[in-house]
Formats: sequence, structure tokens, C-alpha cells
Amino acid sequence: MKRNRIILTTGAAVTALVLAACGGSSDSDSAAEAPQEDAASSEEAVEEAPEEEPADDSGSDDSGADDAADSGAGDVPPWCGPNEITLGFADGFGGNNWRLVTTETGRREAAKCPSVKELIYTDGQGDLQKSISDIQGLVSQGADAVVVFPDASEAILPTLQEAYGAGVVTVPYRVYPGGSDGDDYTAYIALDATNDGANYCAWIKKARPDGATVLVTSGPKGNSQGTDMATELRACLGAEGDKYTFVGEDPFEVTNWDPAETQKVITAAVAKYPEIDVIASDFGPSLVGALPEFTKAGRPIPALATSDGNILGCFWQDQQDAGNGFDMMTVATGNDHARTAIDYAVAVATGGEIPSSTAHQHALFEDSLDPDRPVQCDTSLPDYVFHSAELITAQEQAALLE
Amino acid sequence: MALDTAVQESTPAVQERAGLWNRVPRGLITISIGVLLLFLVSYVFAPSSMTKGPLLGMLPFAAVLAIVSLGQTLVVQQGGIDISIMGAISLTVVIATHGADGDDSRVVPALFTALVVLVIAGLVNGFLVGRVGLNPIIATLGMNAVLYAIVLGYSGGIPQMNADLLSSMASGLTLGIPNAVFYAIAAVVVVTVVVKRTVPGRKFEAVGANPTAAWAAGLRVKNQQMSAYVWAMVLYWLGGVLLAGILKQPTAYQGDDYLLPSVAAVVLGGTSLLGGRGFPVATALGALFLSQLSNFVLGLGVSFAIRTIVEALALVIGVALYTLNWKGIRARVLGKNLSGSPPGGS
Repeated sequence: MKRNRIILTTGAAVTALVLAACGGSSDSDSAAEAPQEDAASSEEAVEEAPEEEPADDSGSDDSGADDAADSGAGDVPPWCGPNEITLGFADGFGGNNWRLVTTETGRREAAKCPSVKELIYTDGQGDLQKSISDIQGLVSQGADAVVVFPDASEAILPTLQEAYGAGVVTVPYRVYPGGSDGDDYTAYIALDATNDGANYCAWIKKARPDGATVLVTSGPKGNSQGTDMATELRACLGAEGDKYTFVGEDPFEVTNWDPAETQKVITAAVAKYPEIDVIASDFGPSLVGALPEFTKAGRPIPALATSDGNILGCFWQDQQDAGNGFDMMTVATGNDHARTAIDYAVAVATGGEIPSSTAHQHALFEDSLDPDRPVQCDTSLPDYVFHSAELITAQEQAALLE
Repeated sequence: MALDTAVQESTPAVQERAGLWNRVPRGLITISIGVLLLFLVSYVFAPSSMTKGPLLGMLPFAAVLAIVSLGQTLVVQQGGIDISIMGAISLTVVIATHGADGDDSRVVPALFTALVVLVIAGLVNGFLVGRVGLNPIIATLGMNAVLYAIVLGYSGGIPQMNADLLSSMASGLTLGIPNAVFYAIAAVVVVTVVVKRTVPGRKFEAVGANPTAAWAAGLRVKNQQMSAYVWAMVLYWLGGVLLAGILKQPTAYQGDDYLLPSVAAVVLGGTSLLGGRGFPVATALGALFLSQLSNFVLGLGVSFAIRTIVEALALVIGVALYTLNWKGIRARVLGKNLSGSPPGGS
């Protein structure tokens, strides 16, 4: 009896360990093996990518990535210098569709430069300790440059300083880690979310020229992306006098970018505010579950200024077909931010031409009021692909994420 | 009326009625009053939260919380706590959405797969806690990591849209009430009847109340403790399935928001964290209370900071109602007053 128990206990413990190891190692395995696989697949992609870019790129601003893409007529982009390097790509958290597409975008961008001899990708899995050891590991593996998505923000700064101090070109992007360019790291490639606010504002003025009541939503309280976007949007529409009014919390309603929370917040707003003409949000797909609340309450769906996603485009199309049509504009969801960061890091490390801008701007993507930017929906593809990703087609994303 | 007459007539009946009154759990009375007060306060201070839209929006989430809290109640009754509730709900959501892949005909096999995986997880939890004697926090924390590993391995962390069948199952309306509510009511009834009215249920509760005495009475203490984790998983599964249906495109981490509220609902329902009697109906009301509370603060339109404070305060007050010795406090305060008055009085 006792022996059986011991055997069972050991068995259970071993099973748990194996399961845990499977879960834990799957990412690190893929991280270790990925460069070869992806180098091959991205080489193929590089050939077809430039052809698509001009059309997709037409609305984007002068970010580093776009400089590179525009001048991509030759074989080697100008940001790719002659010095051969090993490039580290440290993600703080790699476990969702947006991250997977962003990572692949970064890989394909790096593959454009033959001087990048090796790319090592690591996934911090949302764990600060792993994120730190990932970056340290990249440095000790001889990476000449590391591009970091610092999910842990300030907590990761000492590690960035350490890498930078060791002479590695260190480029954090999208999440501000504190510190400053040239002191703590090479350069921080920020997201210019103020530009999103300006784009939303311009479109709202076009879509609702006589004024409107606007609700703004974003992720966690105080997140810089939402704060910058909402502040600019409020200032810009506020300059029109009292034509435009805002409802909800200032600067934005907190949804944590979570579909459940978004649904609760929108439901409460529908009941509380008899008039909502426009919703501005920095994450479109999470609104899809919440917008039917308007229809349920017998009210029209407000005009939407947000970010793209196949699920949102198809929701728009469905509502259009059902006679509940609404106006919508989107900006790109920003998978191409990784390109701006890669370009910068590679340029500095290989001795290429350093991009002039250290900020990434989301390109204008869809606009239901502009025939040149139709809303995109492909029902044959999964709902979680982003049509706005410039280097990876929606079909490729579907295959990648399968 | 008949009862009243009987009460007046016979002393045993009076005792019987007093016994009945005593047998209504204190937690149930408190939380019922709490829920009523909250709805009243909502009606007065945030009338928009009491309109049809927000109420119909809140009820499905309350139903999910009620169901998973029932699972947590079973574990807490046995003096345990189940942290793997987060991984269990997330895994159910992920299997229900990815497994079905938007295809109604694949919903049932997906749900069945999720149930099997969760029951296995529950058995391992129960084995580690009940048999091996591991601390429940450690055992279920480990299981939570394993479940999340499966979530990530299975879904890649990618959110997936739910199938129509799942959606209508959970958020469709019957008689104007969201379907999820009926599932919650059914779960409460089943758990209550089984725990309070059947022999295995009474044994289960006896073990929770006093494992040593139960052991002395010849009950299989370890088996009972083990079963709590398995039945809890079945309830998490049901909650997860409904949650997957309520949300159009749930994320792979949807269970993260349920650990604290599930424990809070258990505590608000009057079940002691140290184990003992469980109060399923009171737990479900606790879940309703917490859901309406968030609906209320959203309806107030106050800032996120205030929302958080109001929710935290309500929880502190709720927990204090049970854990503090109010009689003692009252006696002490009154006692002080008495001793503070001048000797001899005035």
C-alpha cells in the first residue's frame, strides 16, 4: 500500500514535471531553433515583400521602417552596413497573435540585411526574471546588437544598462523603460501615439463635422499609449470650441484591453450616456463583443476610430449587410514597429545609414468614408489576423499562427 | 398560518421554529441583506446601472462567477484553496474556442475534451493535497502553471472567436433572462442538494467541519478531500464554457480575473477559509453582489481609482462582518463607556 503510494506520487510528480517542462521549453526550443527555420522562410518572403509595400505603405509616415522600405529597390537597404553581426531579439512576452506576427515581422526585416549573420530570438514569457536572463544570455552569446520589447518597463532598465555598458547596441522599443538615449541604451524607439490621437481627431472632424459626443477607451490606467492618444485627441477636438464633447473618464475609460472588461465598460456607458456618436479606442478587436450593446438598446453603433483586425473588419461588414452600418477608420495595429527598431539597431551595429527618426507612427489603414482605404474583411481567414502588417500577408499570418 | 398556529400551541414547535431560524446560515442572511442594500443603493445613486442593458450585461458574468465560486467553496470547505482555478478557466475557454474553431458541430467534442483534461487536473490536485498531504497553495499553484503551459501550447496565446452555438448557449435569452443564469441556478441547486441532502454530501461536509472527528467516525477523510478538487474542476469547466460563450473573442488568459473574486464570493457567503460548512446559495449571492458592485461603480461614472477603492472597501466590510467578533467589540465599547462614566453616576 505504502509502496504503491510512493510509486503513484513519483509518477504524478514526474508527469507534472514533464508537462511543465513541455510548456516551459516549447518557447525556448523554438527560440533556439527558430533562426535557421525563419532565415529560410524569411528569405523567400523578402523577395515578395517589397512589391506589396508601396500600396500598403502609402499612408504611413516617415518612420525608419518606411525609409527602408521605400528605398528597398536595391538588394540591400541603406540601414544595412558592411559589418557582420549577430542580432538578439528579446521579447518580454511572446504569447499572443499580435506578438507572433510582430516577431515574424522583425525576423523578415532583419533577413533583408545579409550582414546579420544570425538572429537569436528569446521569449521572456511575461516573466521578469526570464526577460533579464534572456538579455544577459544574448550578450554572453556574443550578440552585437539587441532589440528589446521591455514589457517590464523600468524593471528591465538595469539589464539594458548592463548590455549597453558591455558595448552591445541596445535598442528597446514600444514600451518606455525609463532612462535616456546614449546614457542607458543606444536609442529608445518610441511609439508616437500622439500621432494616433491626431489621426483620430482629423477623421472625427471629417466624419462628424457638426460635432459629436465622444467616448475614449484604452488599456490599463495610465498606459502611455492610451494617455498620449487620448490627450492629443481631447486637445485637438477641444480646439473646435464646444462642438465636440467627451463622456466617460478623463483621459480614457479603463478596459485593460480585455474583452470582458470592455464589454462591461461599454454596457455601462450605453446605459449612462444617452448619446455616444463616436468611440475612439487604441484596440479595435476588443470592441467587437461590446458594440452590439448599442443595437440591443435600439441605438445606432457609433462611428469608430481605432486599430485594425480581421475580426473588426468582418464585424463592420456584417453590420453593413444587416443594415446597422457605421463609419469606421483604423490605423495599423503596429506590427511594423519591430521593423523600425530592427532597422535602427542593425544600422548602428553594421555601420549602415542610421534612420533619421526614433519614433514609430501607425500608418492610416482603413476608412469607410474613403474609397481608397476600404475596410478589409476576409471571412476565409481566421479572425485574429491583421491586414495592416506590411511584411506578412494575412494568409501568411494564418499559416504562421495555425 | 398553520405553522403559526402550531407554534402558538406547542412548545416543541416553537423550539422547532427557533431551530429552523438558527439553521438559516448567518452568511446567507447577511449576504442577502447586502445584495438587497446594494441594489437599493445602485437604484438611488447610479440609476443607469439598474436599467435593462447593464443588468442583462452583468448577469452572465455574475453567473460565471457564481459557478466557479461554488467550485472554490467545495475546496475551501475542506480547508483548502484552489489557485489552479485561473488555469482551469483559461484552459476551458481556449479548448472551447480553438477546439471548435468556429464550427458548431465541433463544440461538443471540444467541451468534452476540456472536461476530461480538467477532471484529470482535479484528480492530480486532489491526490497531491488529499493523499500526499502537500500544502494546497503549493499543489494548486503548480497545477496552475501546468494548465497555463497547456493553454499556451494549445493556443499559442492567440484569442479565437467563439462558435455561434456556444454564444447562444451562454448569452442567448430565455424568458428575457440570459441563459447563463439558468446554468448558475441549476449548479447552485445541484450542489446544495448533493451537499446538504445526500449521504455522500453529508459525509463531505462532516469531513470539512472536523476531519479528526470524521476520521474517528470512520469516514474516508482523504477521499473526501480529494473529491473536492475534482468537483471544483467540473464547476470551473462549466463556468469556463459559459465565459467562452459570453465573450465574442476571449483571450487565452481569461481565467486570470477569477482567483480573487472567487475566494471573495466564498468569504462573503460566510464559508470559513479554515474549512467547515459550505453555503452554496450564499456563495452565489456573494458572486451576484461582487458583479453588481462593479456594475454599480461603473454606473457611478467615477474614476478608475475610486472604482477600485469602492470595490476594495466593500470587500473589507463584507469580510469584517464575518471575521470580527462584533459582540465582543460591542461589549468592550459599551464596557468602556460604562467604566468611563463617573463612579456613582450622575
